[in-house]
Amino acid sequence: MQEATFLILTALADGPQHGYGIITEVAQISVGRVKLRAGTLYTALDRLRSDGLVSVDGEEVVEGRLRRYYRLTPAGTKVLAAEAARLQANATAALTRLRPGLAGGMA
Amino acid sequence: MSDMTALERGYRRVLALYPRSFRADSEDEILAVLLATAEEGQTRVGLAEAWDLVRGAVRMRLWPAAPRPRAVRAAVKLMLAGAAAELAAVVTVAMTSGAVRAAVAARDPANVNAAMVHQVAILAAAPVAIGMWLWLAWANGRGEDWARMISAACFGLLTLSVLGSLSEHAGTYAPASTIAAGIVWAIGLASVVLIFTPAAGRYYRPRLARQ
Repeated sequence: MQEATFLILTALADGPQHGYGIITEVAQISVGRVKLRAGTLYTALDRLRSDGLVSVDGEEVVEGRLRRYYRLTPAGTKVLAAEAARLQANATAALTRLRPGLAGGMA
Repeated sequence: MSDMTALERGYRRVLALYPRSFRADSEDEILAVLLATAEEGQTRVGLAEAWDLVRGAVRMRLWPAAPRPRAVRAAVKLMLAGAAAELAAVVTVAMTSGAVRAAVAARDPANVNAAMVHQVAILAAAPVAIGMWLWLAWANGRGEDWARMISAACFGLLTLSVLGSLSEHAGTYAPASTIAAGIVWAIGLASVVLIFTPAAGRYYRPRLARQ
């Protein structure tokens, strides 16, 4: 899973968001490191919707413009949880292997 | 405000690169996000954001998000086969035309002209029929819902024309062309059944309603 996709799913994990909301959430989650652009966001959303991981939660018109809310589907929640667990396992393994080296370096 | 519309026009020009069905569904929404993320006083589309949009458009066109279900892929192949069978049928009709004429003349002299008119009609209609098969294969492959309806309607017409020619006892005169018509009809039946299966139905659902 690409990082942008992972972060989009994460942004939706605690509730529905609209497009702009996802961008600000992703910036927050990644501590400003990932600035999602509209093209990337909507290409990813298009794919996530057709894969059934994300669905449209509702629409409203704000200042004459369509604003659509997206939410995780149960399948999307499952996929995100599995990916998060995988990343966590990898990170844990990396940190475990680094620790002796770090300890040695510090000694 | 005039700055805003210039910027909006610029974004719309880039968004025009996206597939039409996607634009119908999401253009206004993306535009709102682009305008919301634009810098204060920005009047032109930035290079980085233009690149990001172009990349998205290329990706969407080359690798459409919705993979065609197996039923739709099979139906598209069948429709292409339908075009080929139609071509074969026309060739058969053209080649057996002399034999048909002789057979009709021998058994039913009064109807020779009618039979020949029928054959000419088949030959004249063939390019249209082949074109329809190809066009419907293309449109169904794209998941256009109207293509499904037109396919069903065409299959209805095809059935009527096959029944019509059977009732004229064309089979007695030209077994080969009846077999060819039967093959074309069977291909039509199979492809229409496939595109109306539930698995294919999800692919055809308009994007707006896709949940």
